[in-house]
Amino acid sequence: MVALARKTLIYEWRRFLPAILAVGFASLLQLLQAALVLGIFGSASVYITGSSADLWAGYPGTQSVNLGRPINEDVAMRLRMDPDVIKVEPFRWVDADWRGPRDTGGVSVFVSGIDPRSDGMMFSRALPLDLRARLDEPGAVIVDKADLDSLGVSIGDTAAINGQRVRVVGVSSGLRALGGVNIVASLETARVLDVSPGDAGMMTYFVAKLRPGVKPNVAAKRLNGSNAFGPYTVWTAKNFARESQLYWMFDTGAGAGVLFLAGIVFLVGAVITSQTLIAAVIGSIREYATLNALGVGRGSLRKVVMEQAFWVGALGLVCSVVIGAILLVIARNRSVPMEMRPLTAVACLALSMALAIVSGLASVRSLRRADPASLLR
Amino acid sequence: MSMSAIASSSSANIATLQARSVRKSFVSGHIESTVLHDLTLDVRAGELTLISGPSGCGKSTLLAILSGLQPADTGEVHALGHDLSGLSMRALEAFRLQHTGFVFQGFNLFPALTALEQVELPLSYMGLPKHEVRKRAVESLEEVGLGPRMSMLPIELSGGEKQRVAIARALAKQPELLFADEPTSALDAANGQIVIDILHRIARTHGTTVLCVSHDPRLVHHADRVLAMEDGRILSDHVPPAASATATEHS
Repeated sequence: MVALARKTLIYEWRRFLPAILAVGFASLLQLLQAALVLGIFGSASVYITGSSADLWAGYPGTQSVNLGRPINEDVAMRLRMDPDVIKVEPFRWVDADWRGPRDTGGVSVFVSGIDPRSDGMMFSRALPLDLRARLDEPGAVIVDKADLDSLGVSIGDTAAINGQRVRVVGVSSGLRALGGVNIVASLETARVLDVSPGDAGMMTYFVAKLRPGVKPNVAAKRLNGSNAFGPYTVWTAKNFARESQLYWMFDTGAGAGVLFLAGIVFLVGAVITSQTLIAAVIGSIREYATLNALGVGRGSLRKVVMEQAFWVGALGLVCSVVIGAILLVIARNRSVPMEMRPLTAVACLALSMALAIVSGLASVRSLRRADPASLLR
Repeated sequence: MSMSAIASSSSANIATLQARSVRKSFVSGHIESTVLHDLTLDVRAGELTLISGPSGCGKSTLLAILSGLQPADTGEVHALGHDLSGLSMRALEAFRLQHTGFVFQGFNLFPALTALEQVELPLSYMGLPKHEVRKRAVESLEEVGLGPRMSMLPIELSGGEKQRVAIARALAKQPELLFADEPTSALDAANGQIVIDILHRIARTHGTTVLCVSHDPRLVHHADRVLAMEDGRILSDHVPPAASATATEHS
């Protein structure tokens, strides 16, 4: 079979370039948008994704990890009684007000009180062991290095949280929060910083590790079965992280914005791509008509046009993946919150390929003008 | 009659194309104009039949109807024993794929394909094995004298060479029916001569029914039979002097 579609694409690449660029840009925009959304809203669940716990137990109905309420210590007991749970650790969340040494005004901060031992589950992925050990010192806190400016501190500086003295003992990365600044402290420090009297001594979450090989879904379902130890809900880490991200995405209206923008990008891309493909079909209409006169069926001609659309899409995707990967690396190096997951990437690329195919279908209609009788004159 | 004498002396004298009372009208605005008036015609195999006439006389419309590109309003068209008026669009495409070749005034070659690929392209849709496609394409290009220029793109070929590629493209299908519409009008005298000679030779050596439409008077002497058309009617049906001379020589 003569590769008419591919040879024409290569020979007349200037003609097809706008379509390839349109698909490429549409794809790149979708990818970057998705990466930004995942990156920004991913920080809503950094407490969960940065930790190695399998299960999270918290106040019933909590919609996002930052909205937790104090729960009873007995819940930890209930978790420990489960034969599959090998370890339970408390996590204390304190909403607080920061006063730095420099003139930054009030900064709303989220204090995460964690167990600073080297085998602790909380933030085990975000904190190196030596840094973690420094939290043992009373009043020691760790912040993300990207937040130093907004907090108005440097490493070693002291500041005040809820009027209590703290000292920045180190910085880490991957601790950025949504709607405020994350401060990591030991459970003891967090207890001192928590000034609301009702919460005295109460933890916000208990996280648990399961025996290797146990499915978190099964264990969470079993643990949710009774309320004998007071009200609580158990989530798997994966579910709770997703719930928190979705809560933020829709609470801020960003979810709708993302979908809207994706629609616009798709529409604009499809218009440019289909117009370019139509022009390419019209440019070869006499040749197509000749093939039809020679008996090559309309279905076969449509296939040629669709194959062209497919290659335009494929080339556009390749461009966007290469540029997207480069931009992602640059963003990582500059602490821009961007994140890409295979499934999301595949979805974005599939959407862009759909754009090319839809444009191909639109341009197939112009093959109707390939009437061999019009060649006789 | 001298014509029937020539016909009977030819080895392939069967009427492969038959038109019976074919009528075709076009409507533009409120005015209906009849292009073909109940036209009846037989075209025989192994001959180059030329339809000549001024532009607008309906010769191209006749070609379109006889080749199955357009339906007639009334009347019947039989090609190789098939009643074309009864066939669907898809069946007509299949018929054309198996039995017909076309050469147009414009060469209509894909700019991206070499001469060889231009010829192979329609063949590849005929369900032929790959080596057969290649063999036929090479043979056809050699037959039109383009053997050495097979790997050239249209942009590298002259007008005459392009038209010969177009003829090879039609010829490689080994069609029983070959239609040519003004095949020489975009060419200079020398190239026009080469092209009409090739068409004539195809009719003689392959026993193909070659139906050529042209207003080019230079072609008349190369045809085996000339039909003069005017206003949708055939005015005369004669054998040009040169052709009758060669025909007598052959017999």
